[in-house]
Amino acid sequence: MSRPEQLLPRESLLWIFAAQFTVLLPHFARLPLWIVLGWLIAVLWRFEVYRGRREFPGRLVKLLAVAVAVGGLALSYRRWFALEPMVALLAVSFALKNLELLSRRDAFLSLLLAYFVAATLFVFEQTIPYALYGVLATAVVTAALAAQLGGFSARPRRAFGLSLRLLAQSVPLMLLLFVVMPRLEPLWAVPQNSGGASTGISDSMTPGDFTRLSKSDQPALRIAFDGPVPPPEQRYWRGLVYSHFDGRRWSQGFGVDPREGARVSWRENEQPLPEVGPRYRYRVIQEPTRNQWLFAMARPHSETDGVGETGDDRLVRSIPVYSRFAYDVRSWPRSSLTPSSVLGDFERRRNLQLPAEGNPQARAWARRLAEEHGDGDSISAAVLAFFNRSFTYTLKPPALGADSVDEFLFESQQGFCEHFAGSYVFMMRAAGIPARVVAGYQGGEWVEQEEYLLVRQYDAHAWAEIWTPARGWQRVDPTAAVSPERIRDGLQTAAAEEFMEDALLPLHRISVLNRLRLEWDMINYRWYQTVVSFDSDSQQNLLQRVLGEVSPLRLAILLLVPAGVGLVLLLAWLWWTGRGARLPRAQRLYLRFCRRMARAGIPRRQGEAPRDYAARVASEAPRLAAMAAAVTAAYERAAYAEEPAAERQLARLLRQWRLTATSPVASATATPGLDSGGTQA
Amino acid sequence: MRVSTGDRQIPPQGLRARWQALTSRWLERRAPAARTVTLSHRKLFILPSRAGLGFLLVILLLWLLGTNYENNLVFALAFLLVSLFAVLPVHTFANLSGLTLRLLAAPPTFAGDYARARLAVSRSGHRLREHIEIAWPPEDGAQLDLVDAESAEVEVALPVNRRGRVRAPRLRVQSRYPLGLFRCWSHVDLDIEFLVYPAPRDPGSLPLGATAGEGRSPERRRGGDDFAGLRPYQPGHSLRHVAWKQFAGGRDLHSKEYDTGADTRLWLDWDLLAGRDVETRLSGLCHWVLEAERAQIPYGLRLPGTSLEPSLGESQRQRALLALAEFPVQGVE
Repeated sequence: MSRPEQLLPRESLLWIFAAQFTVLLPHFARLPLWIVLGWLIAVLWRFEVYRGRREFPGRLVKLLAVAVAVGGLALSYRRWFALEPMVALLAVSFALKNLELLSRRDAFLSLLLAYFVAATLFVFEQTIPYALYGVLATAVVTAALAAQLGGFSARPRRAFGLSLRLLAQSVPLMLLLFVVMPRLEPLWAVPQNSGGASTGISDSMTPGDFTRLSKSDQPALRIAFDGPVPPPEQRYWRGLVYSHFDGRRWSQGFGVDPREGARVSWRENEQPLPEVGPRYRYRVIQEPTRNQWLFAMARPHSETDGVGETGDDRLVRSIPVYSRFAYDVRSWPRSSLTPSSVLGDFERRRNLQLPAEGNPQARAWARRLAEEHGDGDSISAAVLAFFNRSFTYTLKPPALGADSVDEFLFESQQGFCEHFAGSYVFMMRAAGIPARVVAGYQGGEWVEQEEYLLVRQYDAHAWAEIWTPARGWQRVDPTAAVSPERIRDGLQTAAAEEFMEDALLPLHRISVLNRLRLEWDMINYRWYQTVVSFDSDSQQNLLQRVLGEVSPLRLAILLLVPAGVGLVLLLAWLWWTGRGARLPRAQRLYLRFCRRMARAGIPRRQGEAPRDYAARVASEAPRLAAMAAAVTAAYERAAYAEEPAAERQLARLLRQWRLTATSPVASATATPGLDSGGTQA
Repeated sequence: MRVSTGDRQIPPQGLRARWQALTSRWLERRAPAARTVTLSHRKLFILPSRAGLGFLLVILLLWLLGTNYENNLVFALAFLLVSLFAVLPVHTFANLSGLTLRLLAAPPTFAGDYARARLAVSRSGHRLREHIEIAWPPEDGAQLDLVDAESAEVEVALPVNRRGRVRAPRLRVQSRYPLGLFRCWSHVDLDIEFLVYPAPRDPGSLPLGATAGEGRSPERRRGGDDFAGLRPYQPGHSLRHVAWKQFAGGRDLHSKEYDTGADTRLWLDWDLLAGRDVETRLSGLCHWVLEAERAQIPYGLRLPGTSLEPSLGESQRQRALLALAEFPVQGVE
């Protein structure tokens, strides 16, 4: 199979294993345990082969290993066309390759595969730590590649240093390519990263959901505004609308979830846009949620690809948000819309739906309110006034029984936003006013330096919308009636005592750490804005800024000028590191003399002594005799007696010879005087 | 007399041969033969190795991955590898450029053995040179690093099968440093010519006291009284002189030869090995020369057109072997 000298030496093997370990390490958390163990066994086996304690596995064992791997993959992953099984397959073949790591060729193959495995890491995570880890992994794989040559290069420090140096030299060109290389549309549909539980707000709301979110300070959205920034009390980021209530759980209900076939307008201008300009323009960068819904202020419109609008004024994406996703939104105030004075029959029924029974007290009171007030706005005001009178806003509400609304309204009177929103909508529906629960985020932290709004998971919020014939759908936030500071200043102020109480360390109370965390988030934001979401639009913009106008000529200049500079630097480096030790000055001068003599037709022979050479010059060209004698004498004194004066005289002789250059006769006649100059010195 | 140079003059047959002739002539002009050769851009060639092509394939796959997932970090990695691929040839080239090769010695050898040339490889400047392979492909040759020392000596072996003056083909100096993704090489003609002696092959024990040939030495006269040796019987030989005893013993028909003025010296004579082809005879003589040297018996050598007086010692050995090596290919008859 391979010639003996191509068998892998120990350093090669160790380097390959190190490279494999480095690229697989971050995948270990995602891969099933048996793959990790399989890799370990393969590595140990191969090492035992190296130590001569074991043979390479026979064909039967290899077949068995492949069969076990395929079976294991089939058992571990039910779906094949997904990212995880693909990466697992890659990892398995990577591990099994160790069992037949025989020749240089196999080693190269394994290491080239390692580059690819390192890249798959980025499909899962694009954060700064992972990017740094990716650089490390690339450096290790490159070092392993360098070490395959063996000998001096296989020493760890040498190999790693070489790898870092090579990569550092590659960085400038890489940056250039990153900026200039055009990005194409995806060529075909690829499996997406669907693993892991969805995070953030879910498609239904039961008591306790939002309290759970309030314990997380993970970023959810980052929003940068182009133009005016809405005041805190306007920052309602709508994500979901719950219109179905089953007595305990609020959910989207039939025909709202686009997954269940709700109508979504994906193309532009399907819904007529208002005549007036939008009030807010902003770009939302959403953390992965593994759900389809996006977050925006009421009456949004987005022209980002793959983003559509639903009938209930929300944005959804065609595929779930598996990795950070940025979308541009324009929002119009609801008042600018032509009020839809008629609510469709279906819509009305859906937004008046209530379970057949339960919560009798609430229903009775709602009926009473409806009789007293009549119109929606005054019923709403009465309920809010009731909340305002005697309710407490708390992160630790008591558990509720079967008639949760009754218990909350008339007994505990302590709750979180979901309780207020849920019971408010229940009351309104019971009073005959179409109403729905809206979930999303409210508020956000304004990051001054970078000018963006950072919305964290604990900003998750639920509120309500009611429909009145006069104004259509309008937002009502029952929580604001109880705790206005929650809306104005955020959860941290509204529930200072309880906020993040369960956190292992109350880090949020240390202001330095808070600032550091904000700084880190800013760096992340920057990273996402400049690197991760760099697309053909930003590319176009950047090139336009740099070049003024994007023309092939200017692009060529942008590419060729740095390439030329790089080439010149490289040549300089080659010359500098390759030049021999400098000869002593006297010798250099003498060699120059020899070159001139050669031009005059009398080249110095190999190994000819200077004195013999001078004698030969004198005999072959008597007119050069005096000059040759003078130079030779000065050279001998300078080179052997190391007289600085003689060296100077040698230089002077050659210089004066050049002055009279073209006529050697003239220089020859000048020599007696120079000779005397030499004796003076 | 150059044995192998004869090949070049033969008009090449077929495309492949013609191509080889063309490239070798081009190389001849570009990198002429010299005892000392310094590698420079004129003589160095560089191309991606097979692993390098695999590397390009990986880059392509990464680009596809990045495009389909619209993933900028994958793109960044792909571009990093592209840049690495652009930087590498410079290092590979620099590893060989400025390297000086000097032929130190090309000692004679026997056909069928390896001819070994000793070379001095030295670098200029302080740039380290690693993983330099010097070989006559397809042989493995020598590999060296110039890390601690400025120069090093290596021995490169070339298998030789024919005796004579063998002009070595061009040496291949190559390096895959630093990652093995590029191969930089040069075909260097260090003007190496090996003197190749015939392969020693045992034709039987030393012909002590035996002799053959007619009138080779002026001081000997045939037909005397002293038995001088046997020679194959030919029609016309006197039947009195037929070696019946030996014939009865199962050998061919031989005539006994008689000399006057007994010459007891050991003569390694071409004619003693009559009846075999030229190369076999030379191989046999070569073996005898070595045997005689080993046994410390003075010996003379007789070849058609050449004769060495009996003697012993290194210079005799060299002269004898040289005569054998340079014996014309076509032989005499």
